[in-house]
Amino acid sequence: MTGSSPARPRSLHWASPQRPLHPDIFGEDRNSEARHKFLIESAKREHDRVREDAERVYRDHLQKEEQQRLLQEKRKEEERIRRDEQIAAEVTRVNALKAKQVVIPAPLPDPEPPRPPAVIASAPPAVTSSSAAPPATPAPQPPSQVNVVATQNGVTPKGPSFSPDDSRPLLTTPQQLLKRPEPPLLQSNGTAPAPKAVAPPVAQNPAIPAIDRYTTIHRNLKELRRSMAQQANANRALKSRIGDMRREIRKSVGQLTAGTGANRVQQQKIVALLREALQNQVQSQLIDPSNFVMEPRNPVEGAVHNEPQLPSLFLYLLNIFAKAAIAQFINEAGARPETADPVGICIAATFSEPDFLWHGVSLIDILIAKFRIVCPVLFGYKGSEKTEQGRQRLGWWKDSGSWVTEQQHMDRMTGLGAGFAAVSLRNFGPSKKTNPYPPRHYWTAMAKIVNTPSADISNTQCVVLKSMIQNYEQKFIQFYGTAAIAALRTSLLEFPGRAPQKSAAVNSLGVLAELLKKDSGLVLG
Amino acid sequence: MADLASRITKPEDAPAVSAPETAPETQIDGGEELGTGLVQSAFDVEIKLSDLQNDTESPLFSVSTFEELGLSKEINDGLLAMNFKKPSKVQERALPLMLSNPPRNMIAQSQSGTGKTGAFVLTVLSRVDLTKPTQPQALLLAPSRELARQIQGVVMNIGQFCKDLIVEAAIPGAIARDGAVKGSVVVGTPGTVIDLIRRKQFDVSQLKVLVIDEADNMLDQQGMGEQCVRVKALIPKSTQILLFSATFPDKVMTFAEKYAPNANQMKLRHTELTVKGISQMYMDCPDEQKKYEVLCKLYGLMTIGSSVIFVRTRQSANEIQRRMEADGHKVSVLHGAYEGGDRDALLDDFRTGRSKVLITTNVLARGIDVSSVSMVINYDIPMKGPPGKEEPDSETYLHRIGRTGRFGRVGVSISFVYDRRSYQALTQIANFYGIDLIQLSPDDWDETEKKVQDVIKSSRAKPDYAPSAVAKV
Repeated sequence: MTGSSPARPRSLHWASPQRPLHPDIFGEDRNSEARHKFLIESAKREHDRVREDAERVYRDHLQKEEQQRLLQEKRKEEERIRRDEQIAAEVTRVNALKAKQVVIPAPLPDPEPPRPPAVIASAPPAVTSSSAAPPATPAPQPPSQVNVVATQNGVTPKGPSFSPDDSRPLLTTPQQLLKRPEPPLLQSNGTAPAPKAVAPPVAQNPAIPAIDRYTTIHRNLKELRRSMAQQANANRALKSRIGDMRREIRKSVGQLTAGTGANRVQQQKIVALLREALQNQVQSQLIDPSNFVMEPRNPVEGAVHNEPQLPSLFLYLLNIFAKAAIAQFINEAGARPETADPVGICIAATFSEPDFLWHGVSLIDILIAKFRIVCPVLFGYKGSEKTEQGRQRLGWWKDSGSWVTEQQHMDRMTGLGAGFAAVSLRNFGPSKKTNPYPPRHYWTAMAKIVNTPSADISNTQCVVLKSMIQNYEQKFIQFYGTAAIAALRTSLLEFPGRAPQKSAAVNSLGVLAELLKKDSGLVLG
Repeated sequence: MADLASRITKPEDAPAVSAPETAPETQIDGGEELGTGLVQSAFDVEIKLSDLQNDTESPLFSVSTFEELGLSKEINDGLLAMNFKKPSKVQERALPLMLSNPPRNMIAQSQSGTGKTGAFVLTVLSRVDLTKPTQPQALLLAPSRELARQIQGVVMNIGQFCKDLIVEAAIPGAIARDGAVKGSVVVGTPGTVIDLIRRKQFDVSQLKVLVIDEADNMLDQQGMGEQCVRVKALIPKSTQILLFSATFPDKVMTFAEKYAPNANQMKLRHTELTVKGISQMYMDCPDEQKKYEVLCKLYGLMTIGSSVIFVRTRQSANEIQRRMEADGHKVSVLHGAYEGGDRDALLDDFRTGRSKVLITTNVLARGIDVSSVSMVINYDIPMKGPPGKEEPDSETYLHRIGRTGRFGRVGVSISFVYDRRSYQALTQIANFYGIDLIQLSPDDWDETEKKVQDVIKSSRAKPDYAPSAVAKV
């Protein structure tokens, strides 16, 4: 039987079950007209039935397709809205940041007193338009500096006034920042370089300080600590537990070491303590977490915690955890920057835990607020190391009223720069969780430092910049590709190149470039 | 205050115009307001030099830069890569003396963690001729293989941009029996070095510099002192000799002066020896058994990077390791029972941060520099002398606590006492150096935590490492 067509399925008989297989087909009247008509009638009915069925199926199909299409469209729309919302949120945040950065210089309407004389001498009365943002100060204006800044940056400031506005044109998109042939590729992970461009000119009035939300959060956290102390006095259960929990967290953060899997025990312990705090068996007060986040939040479907309040003990311990991490950065990574990395991993892993999110978003603002206080240059603040206020703006610490030594300050900055990179350059690609502090923040921080007008470049910035790059250049390049290489070139060669004073801190950026060349073959020059 | 112009610093009197603590912003607020309604802010005021660097006597204070010391660009870049931006006092003072020609001997004393190693390594690197990369020109001696390897690491690190720099370690097992020492810089322990010279594996004919680190220890110890004398006899007479240590007891000093004749000298009095950045405390333990529990609790009280625990016996070292590992710590134990390669590996774990707690007997009291060590624990008070006639060992105490507070960083030392004898021994040491030890108690950890935090804060607040400030004796 080979070669013959396959046997027809028997069920074929039943394909049209209503086919009139009357036995009377062989009857007497099989040739009668009535019979004929009847058969035609039956055939037509059958035809209609089949057609109807077919049409119905076809309609169903069309409907389904339409439904599918609508659904798809709806999803697309939702996706778009979500993206728009994200962008909107980012823009607001960037605006807020810009507002901040723009405003900061306000308290120094004057140029640094020590510098002007020479400069002024060379400057004709060019200052026509301090009106744009009148620093309103009797201090000597160094108008010529503006020009210096402008030419050195290759960016034209809006006006000749040496007002805080100057920083705005410099604040950039990667494109502007790089000024290099390579287009800033948005590589992998969908991590786009810092959203910018969108930012409309905020804070037109530099005299009105934008509310620095991070500082407010930081203050609220201090308040929280006080309130916990009071609660503990009245609540025995809380008092007996809170100190031990705090010390356990501090100890666990201190135990973190390099090596994959080396920190499982510590990580689990920290998470367990925070969960215990969430369960709140010691009945700490419930408080509103919105005091500790950057932007107001609404409940989100599917979030573990949509309630308006969380146990204060939980927020307190998150704060302690953040505090311990920062202290570890300062004390340990200051001496050995590479120790920051395991702490950064622990931070990212803990703050991204689904049950530690509030309204679906992490509470990492608690940590970032601390960075803002201890290492302001990461957020675009600048100042002179030779002045009181300059040092304050740079986060130079004071102990009992006097400045800590230069060595201590630079140590702190080294540790914090490395710590910031350790927190912000985490790859969540393989993870189901959401990165609580994605790499665009790293980019933004770097951009803010390298866009400092030449005259305002400080050693502190150089030290922070160096330590946020060293040991992290590979991760940075993984995220941003050629754009990262261009940014490294800007940071390690161009930025120190235009620094007015070639101090050891400035020179060490160039040395890092040398080191990258020597150790990894990365040629920037 | 009304006269804003007067607040402007004239160039010639810049330092004189010091800012009051309160930022003038507030003073000016509302004072002069322009019609624009813009709030006006103040000038930034220059900081006085004395604020910039509180104490010129600090061993970490210096005004010059490495460049001013006339170091080559390669060396300078190496320093910058290691985050050294300015010379410390011992470097600033000793380097010009050591680098001057004709070369002159040097005996230098400076507190722990103030840059002694950097000082002699810079001298060595400046003296060697790198066009003869395999010809030994500098020999550095240290009392232990750990220290020798550490110094080797520092030479290579600072010299990382120096082309053709070869640094050899002359320690047991490092040079093959039929091999030769082929490096311009050689770092080793005295016994091995002598063997290598005797067997003609080490050509010392062109040696220019001999450095002896922890010199008091090296010259004092039986055996090692002799070896040092023999090394000196084997090398060219013209070799420049540099002796370094944090401590130089008087009797050793006499010998040192003979060993390095006509030397320039930098000395400290014994009340000037402790680095003020280290907060020294003691823990009053109820009994010897409780010490284990107390120890584990310490790690929650403050931020600790790495830590070193000094114990008297191997048994207690092992027991502490067991307990601490159960508590989640990663621990290295290093004592006489380990040898050669094992010791290297254990210490490397600690150096690279794979373990953050190092438990050791006295082997490592001296010299070992792990910059992130922020706590040293004297689990047992250091004693010396024959059994039955033991007395407190002040020098060892000083070297032990010197493992922390490196290069001006905050460090904490906690000594455990639990009975009359240990308490008296510690008191004696404290009196010798004129230090106030702060008492801690294990009864209320909330209280103790607060106290420790305060102590750390206040020690940071005094950046004066001023030796004279503690002269009490």
